[in-house]
Amino acid sequence: MAEELQSVSEGGRMFRKRKMEHKKKGGKGKKKFKGVPFSEKRIKVDNKMKKLFEKRARDYNSDNEDDEAPAPVSRAKPTSYDKQEPKSYGKEKPNSYGKEKPNSYGKEKPTSYRKEEDDFEEEWVDDEGEDGNEELEVSEDEDGEIQPGITKFIDGCKAFRLAFKKLLKKSASDDILGPVLSAHKKLVAEKLAEEDVERKVKGEAKKEKHLIREKGHAKPVNFLNAHEKSLIGVATKGVVKLFNAVNKAQHAQKGLNPSRAKDEKAIKKRRREVFFSELGKTPSQIAVSKAGASNSSKDEGPSWAPLRDNYMLTNPKLKDWDKNPDTSVADDVRMSADSDSSDE
Amino acid sequence: MGRFKNKNRKPFVKQIVKKPPTVDHVTGDKIPKSFVFSRGKLPGPLRQLQMDLRKLMLPYTALKLKETKRNNLRDFVKLASDMMVTHFLILSKTDSAAYLRVARMKNGPTLTFKIHEYSLAADIAQSQLRPRCPAEIFKTPPLIVLSGFGTGEQHLKVATLIFQNIFPAIDINTVKLSSCQRIVLLNYDKETKLIDFRHYSIRLQPVGVSRRIRKFVQNHQVPDLRSLQDVSDFVTKAGYGSESEADDEAATVNLSSDIGRVNRASTKSAVKLQEIGPRMTLQLVKIEQGLCTGDVIFSEYGNVTKKSENEEEDEQESDEEMDEQENEDEEEQEIEEELED
Repeated sequence: MAEELQSVSEGGRMFRKRKMEHKKKGGKGKKKFKGVPFSEKRIKVDNKMKKLFEKRARDYNSDNEDDEAPAPVSRAKPTSYDKQEPKSYGKEKPNSYGKEKPNSYGKEKPTSYRKEEDDFEEEWVDDEGEDGNEELEVSEDEDGEIQPGITKFIDGCKAFRLAFKKLLKKSASDDILGPVLSAHKKLVAEKLAEEDVERKVKGEAKKEKHLIREKGHAKPVNFLNAHEKSLIGVATKGVVKLFNAVNKAQHAQKGLNPSRAKDEKAIKKRRREVFFSELGKTPSQIAVSKAGASNSSKDEGPSWAPLRDNYMLTNPKLKDWDKNPDTSVADDVRMSADSDSSDE
Repeated sequence: MGRFKNKNRKPFVKQIVKKPPTVDHVTGDKIPKSFVFSRGKLPGPLRQLQMDLRKLMLPYTALKLKETKRNNLRDFVKLASDMMVTHFLILSKTDSAAYLRVARMKNGPTLTFKIHEYSLAADIAQSQLRPRCPAEIFKTPPLIVLSGFGTGEQHLKVATLIFQNIFPAIDINTVKLSSCQRIVLLNYDKETKLIDFRHYSIRLQPVGVSRRIRKFVQNHQVPDLRSLQDVSDFVTKAGYGSESEADDEAATVNLSSDIGRVNRASTKSAVKLQEIGPRMTLQLVKIEQGLCTGDVIFSEYGNVTKKSENEEEDEQESDEEMDEQENEDEEEQEIEEELED
């Protein structure tokens, strides 16, 4: 604001000069000009304005310390801040400002900055707990060269390490849900329980379905129980009966091939002899059945149906089987080749 | 232009389709053939059972018979009459149990069995230490043994008839024993009225030879003689025979001809059976006169229909009849449940 006034009085020249100063101040220039009183040249403010400034500054500080943007002294401030910052943070000597700066409007601000810094350090100490002492030393080492909000890379590493240590020290809660934001804890638990119930219901439904699918399906046991053994015995008996019958029947035609025409005659001749000789026998005497065990019907008489007493009484057609019961139907059918024609 | 022949074109040769024999070339008997299929959607294990049944019915069955949802019974009947198929095995499933229908083509009858329990061939193989199921044994039809069916009851007689004709008849004068590789056993239990359905493979072993020599002859491998003092010990020393090795006289046969290298006609052979599955426990529930239609000749639950007027049904109505029949099935289940209560 002071410069505004100057610009009014002195014109463009002053403006240019200020710019030059800005350039000089970059980087290390800050420290050099620490003690130099710039204000001599620039500031020629009458008391009236001075008062106004003071008042405004007071208002500003009292209102909000941190907020800088809305301040009305937008143009003048940057320069003044640049000067003040290094001093205030580095040495922590509030008195020095007062000496160096005759202008009144600078007085109040440094204090506010100091306050800020104190706050900051307090926070720092709070955060670190026992390890805070180290951190304090570090911050003192800065020696004004480092801006307040930013830490050195090495310090950052340390801080990160400490923070990480702290995290690791924390023991996880024993809750099943694990670390959950407290606000959602209940909700999550509810949801999980709901899902669990849903899954259970689904699983049961699936199980039921599977049971229906598998109904009647029985896995056999690894050992032969008595029932299976008896069944195998029955089957074996049948096989043995058949094999013996085959052996008996084929014994006559040994050495003859049934598919050769020459041998066929001989076979036929022999077979006829056997056939006539066996016509009069009972079926129990001829073991021709492949179904050996079912051959247990106790009916006497010739094995060939026409020779039986009740031959014409039996109608082999299936449709009328229930009208005239006949016990020898099964035997007829089992007779292969010779007597099978009646069934078809 | 027409004079120039396309040299790349191959002359048309009519493909000679070798028709499967419909009659036995030695005996001249008609060979029964079968279809195994399902009505309605089957769950996984039952579909597997269907596959096992098809394998059991080999070689005269359609192993790769494809069926779709849209196929009705009439389609199968039409196909069957073209292919000279004589028997149907139909699997179906309700909520209470699975059912197996065994029907003779064209005119019936149809037997309906309730499958109380079943085990797949895979389950059987899993339960055995050394499952044996070579592919060759399915190249010949199985023998069938019916046991306990001679009680004189009429429905059992019908069942006997059907089952005896479901496989080709064996002419004992011409049959080769080497073709008898499998056996199907149906054992009727009088008390429980259940039929045990088993499927075994037949194996022959020479009797009276020590296990070592038998293995030596079978395997063609150089035996391990380290533990023996002399070569003669290999022949004379008997190994430890297991319990099953003890041969009972009942299971030995004299062979009419040699089977393989090991089983000679001159020596005695023991019959060994090993189960190959599937295994079923069946209950005869119903017998119908037609192919899945017609009068109910026998019913386990006693509601035998005595109508003979509606006997003559058109082929076209058979599908509807099929549905009705299924409805009847359900009714039966209800009745059955009542009975159980």
